[in-house]
Amino acid sequence: MKLIVAGLNHRTAPVEVRERIAFPSAALGEATCALLGAAPLKEAAIISTCNRVELYGLAADAETAIAGMRRYLHEHHKLADSIDPYLYEFHGRDCITHLFEVVAGLDSMVLGETEILGQVKAAYAAAQHAGATGPALNRLFQKSFAAAKHVRSSTGITQGSTSVANVAVDLAEHIFRDLRASTVLVIGTGAMSEATAKALRSRGAGTLLVCGRDRERADGLAGQLGGQAIHYDDWLAEFPRVDVVISATAAPHPIITPVKLEPLMKARQQRPLFLIDIGVPRDIDGACGGMENVFLYNMDDLQQIAQENLAAREREIAVCRAMIAERVASVAAWLEQHFP
Amino acid sequence: MNERLLFWFALACYAGASALTARRLQRGSPEGTLHHASLGLMVAAFALQTLAMLWRGQHLGRCPLTNLFEVQVFIAWSAVLFYLLIGSSYRVSFLGAFSAPLVAVVLAMALLAPIDVPARTPDKHSAWVEFHAAIGILACGALALASVVGAMYLVQERQLKSRRPGRLLFLLPAVDQLDVIGFRLLLVGFVLLTVGMAGGVVSQRIVEPWPWPKGGWAVVVWCWYALLLGGRAMNWWRGRKAACGAVAGFVFTLASYWGATWLAQ
Repeated sequence: MKLIVAGLNHRTAPVEVRERIAFPSAALGEATCALLGAAPLKEAAIISTCNRVELYGLAADAETAIAGMRRYLHEHHKLADSIDPYLYEFHGRDCITHLFEVVAGLDSMVLGETEILGQVKAAYAAAQHAGATGPALNRLFQKSFAAAKHVRSSTGITQGSTSVANVAVDLAEHIFRDLRASTVLVIGTGAMSEATAKALRSRGAGTLLVCGRDRERADGLAGQLGGQAIHYDDWLAEFPRVDVVISATAAPHPIITPVKLEPLMKARQQRPLFLIDIGVPRDIDGACGGMENVFLYNMDDLQQIAQENLAAREREIAVCRAMIAERVASVAAWLEQHFP
Repeated sequence: MNERLLFWFALACYAGASALTARRLQRGSPEGTLHHASLGLMVAAFALQTLAMLWRGQHLGRCPLTNLFEVQVFIAWSAVLFYLLIGSSYRVSFLGAFSAPLVAVVLAMALLAPIDVPARTPDKHSAWVEFHAAIGILACGALALASVVGAMYLVQERQLKSRRPGRLLFLLPAVDQLDVIGFRLLLVGFVLLTVGMAGGVVSQRIVEPWPWPKGGWAVVVWCWYALLLGGRAMNWWRGRKAACGAVAGFVFTLASYWGATWLAQ
């Protein structure tokens, strides 16, 4: 008996192909049962995310089972042309290693992302609920979840965001313990300020104030993010209750300077203030960053950090693989003993 | 085996926890095996130290606070006690990482310096004296931990201000949380210090006259922390200044206590 996987991902197939063979999450259980009927498999599970579709199984004859899986994908999705050039397959220990790396985020488009663990857990639960898994796949998936958790907690593979917006949120979380209690002021309604405000909101930022010269756009963005639009001339008055400022205006000169900020910091009782300047030319005088309890980052800083974070994650890959290899060997030995 | 050997074992555990911290820093791992091993060593060291102090107390027939060695050991012990209480309630795992080296240094100084000698003029045995001394040293433990939190604040602030934060950023808590924890620890330390000093005043009336220079030292330390807390409560300063004040306060407390005790002896 051998564990096998056949599938495609963002590296092997363009989105036009991936979207054609994706399985809706609500239909995963049913699709897994259909796979069991279509290919000579003892156990089966299907992972389907926006970046990958993978069919896992336990088979007595790996070659025949893989052929059945390919046929199933074609027939189930009623494909007119072949997707074989995009498909990869792994057998035995390679299959175990592949799943472990997928779940740990090593095979993801954004290296080290953690969403994949939840997606694989949901796929496994659907297969289990449909009665498609057995002792082999149960052990494989459960051990892969434990390995992913270990890798995440023991290495820096998930540390540091790799997008500008998420870098800003990471920094905010190391200035304010509880973002839910913080107030974010967005000055200017460009794409970057929108992305950063969205990222802050998605990680729980409490109150969102939006202001811009274009009141209609400010209203739209505030409505979209569940915030409150304020008049452009009123943002200074709101400052004492603000913790994070995202500024991206088209102003030719800095709109926040130490002279303006000093009395505002007193009014704020010297609570920490996070200034994110994504305007070009810059909206915030660089000297503000030297003030006590003020933390200032501009676009270049955030981009640089995002690049460094990605490089740091890449350096962790070897350590993660070594950790995974130990656990893969243990699962492989168990499978050999119980499913010779 | 004697109790000094137990203190040495405890020191080895604190040193081990410090080494694991260095490894954690190098690896940049936030939680996981290294953290649990480090916490385990801290708990083991605390248990060994408690046992050794009980042993010595039983031998002396009183609270073991009769000389500089015992005082220093007690300060290290109470700092770990507050870490074990505060670290878990605030989920500040890295607090232990910063505490372990400080405690190891304080304990090593106590064990290596020739200060474990019977007091020339031992305090007259009184429950008030013991109460005053024990509460005062517990206060020092809280103030020691406040200085550790202050140091963590300064490191994290430096990371954030540099605009090129390293791995340490992800290991340390948010600066506003460190500011709050530091303030609360200072408050606990200050209240204990005040109670201890009040106990001292009562014990001096019962046992002996005002002990200069130790009494003067205690008043200076009390005034420093009163000013630090008052300014923080009035929002005159917070963050960096408050953190510097906590670190400087503890260094001054420890250094001047040594000086005052030497002078008194």
